[in-house]
Amino acid sequence: MNHSISTLAAACAACTMSIAAQAQDVGALLKDADRFRMSADNLQVDTQVQTFNADGTPDKERRYTVFAQAGRQSLVLMQSPAEKGQKVLMLADDFWLLMPGSQRPLRITPMQKLLGDASTGDIATMSWVGDYTATLAGEEPCAPDAGAEAQADDKKQVKNASAALRNSKVCYHLHLVASRKGVTYQRIELWLGKQRHEPVRADLFVQSDKLAKQARFVMDSATAPTTVNAMVLVDQLSNKKETRITYLGRKEKTVPAEWLNPMFLARNPSLE
Amino acid sequence: MRTFLLREPHLALLCSPGTRKAARIQSTWGRSLKTVPLLTALAGAALSMGEAGAEGIDTSGHVRASWAARQAAAAGPLAQAHALVPGIAPSDASAATVQAELRASTRLGGVGLNTTVTLQGQRPEGGPSDTRAWVNEAVASGSAAGLQWSAGKKVVSWDVGYAFRPNDVVQQEARRTLSPATLEGRPLVMAEHFTASTAYSIVWVNPTKPRGATGANEPALAARVYHRGADVDWHGFARHGARTGNSVGVAASWVARDALELHASVRHFQRTDGLAWASNAGASSPALLATNPWASSTRGSGQQALLGGTWTNESQLSLLVEGWYDGAALSKTAWQQWANRNQALGALTGRGAPAVAVAGNLAWQGSAFTASGASASLHRQNLYARLSWTHDAWQPALDVLYHPADGGRMVTASLVWQGDRVKVEGGWRVNIGPAAAVVRQLPVQKQGYVMGTWAF
Repeated sequence: MNHSISTLAAACAACTMSIAAQAQDVGALLKDADRFRMSADNLQVDTQVQTFNADGTPDKERRYTVFAQAGRQSLVLMQSPAEKGQKVLMLADDFWLLMPGSQRPLRITPMQKLLGDASTGDIATMSWVGDYTATLAGEEPCAPDAGAEAQADDKKQVKNASAALRNSKVCYHLHLVASRKGVTYQRIELWLGKQRHEPVRADLFVQSDKLAKQARFVMDSATAPTTVNAMVLVDQLSNKKETRITYLGRKEKTVPAEWLNPMFLARNPSLE
Repeated sequence: MRTFLLREPHLALLCSPGTRKAARIQSTWGRSLKTVPLLTALAGAALSMGEAGAEGIDTSGHVRASWAARQAAAAGPLAQAHALVPGIAPSDASAATVQAELRASTRLGGVGLNTTVTLQGQRPEGGPSDTRAWVNEAVASGSAAGLQWSAGKKVVSWDVGYAFRPNDVVQQEARRTLSPATLEGRPLVMAEHFTASTAYSIVWVNPTKPRGATGANEPALAARVYHRGADVDWHGFARHGARTGNSVGVAASWVARDALELHASVRHFQRTDGLAWASNAGASSPALLATNPWASSTRGSGQQALLGGTWTNESQLSLLVEGWYDGAALSKTAWQQWANRNQALGALTGRGAPAVAVAGNLAWQGSAFTASGASASLHRQNLYARLSWTHDAWQPALDVLYHPADGGRMVTASLVWQGDRVKVEGGWRVNIGPAAAVVRQLPVQKQGYVMGTWAF
């Protein structure tokens, strides 16, 4: 009897340890994946967003400067002529929009943050750790289906992306559920390269659990990826438009604390 | 009679009560719509040269072309006045407008310089074209001893509402205008202190204006405290005006759920500028008067309060609902007396009264539309709702301003298309409701616009 109990206890302990180890491993996997986009805690990222119609013709091009800071704080400055002067501030679960005409920060809801082909959340959110609870769903082929090959205009990047899909062959499939209320997507299915844990692709679900977008990550190198060069989003809710978010440059930058005060942004049109 | 009517400053405000926006009367320095593109090209070239010569000058801007159509009312005191003596008071005609806005910013040492300039050419239907330019903003800013300072002409918009803002005590921006327009800042000196979650601001607005200046031109000291709490933005306001004395207010904006934001604002004021009935004759009296009985007035204490919310779903369908009380607006009794006098004046022509005198008195009755001054509410109780949808490049919207006091409604439909650099938009506003409703008496009953904007 005693032997049975101790066997059962040992089995339970082993089981608990295994679950804890797996959870720890998944956390480490996600942290590794984040490093491919967020190479430092505080970054300035110059971003280009190109939107293509369903038939592949160019639609819009926008430029943004993103200050991604530790503690889930981001400031996005719109740089294109049509949006010049607009700013979006994201402090954890709180968001403000500043339109140049009004010089008045508007408090916006997480839903309003979804606006646009590439939402502000897509541009400003550079990490998953802290926003999502991850579980390992298993190991799966990296490529989703036939026909999932990249359709971008940059042939070199397409080649890299396709090669990455072919070479890694098997990916870790992570199931991410939002652990905070203000995140752009409620659920994410994420596939990471098995060897280096680089993000390969993701399915992004909004609060109603509808598939909103499918994301594909374009790495700097197919064989030894170190950074995400671009993220390609295909809208699944309405227009099937493709949006390419290209990270043109990253540099470490810690912004002054007052830049993250919405009222400060109203008084300083250019900030720099 | 006609000449001295035009000298009345309040009649200049009658031009666009539908949009509640006064027309500015400025000296002109050109006579053709063609001047604006020419000046824009010259300014653009100058900015480019500046950009090449002085590193760090950031320039941008846009060119807008628009057509605004306005249909005058067939009823109301101004329509009655025009029926008796055509053209007795100025009216807002349909007009084509070309506008160029140029923005530049740079830093000189530790001082930031920002300026926005607008050049405009306008051709009203049946009138001469007019070209003019103005500075929207020209402000220097910097920091010293832990304070951020600004001096110059600057837009400083406060408060949390959309259709009405009780505590917008510096800019006093006209709200619910039909077509978009870049704000023109106020001359001011401002000092601010910021931490990560708090901001303190003190503003001396209109420091060079005479103490007797009214409305948004009144010299005043204003202060704001902002604090970012968990889920809630808190604002506290105080203002001391040279004429209107003290006012205090608080406002808050709360993100209650992922899709829902709620906001509220309340202000108590000691006095307010506006127009009031100033004749010894009763406000309902049919007496023909020799001067405008509606005169500038500083009225007593009162309150303004706003409660509203925005709801947005994941398909980007948005609903904004706001209700407000504006203690600076005319009361229901005052409007009833106004309506009684309109009716009585209209009946005088059948009794042999001089048509020009009756027309003049009727035209003066239009002053009441601007009686609430900067707050611009016609009635004290107001309800506003706006439904909009953002889908790809398109944004259709429908909004309604409703006055429970008389059932009057101002309905606006609009459509915006935003391309890469080009934006095309249009809108249509119509006043509906019972014939006796105040909005049905406004001099413009239907108005629309189309506008194309190219950003550079």
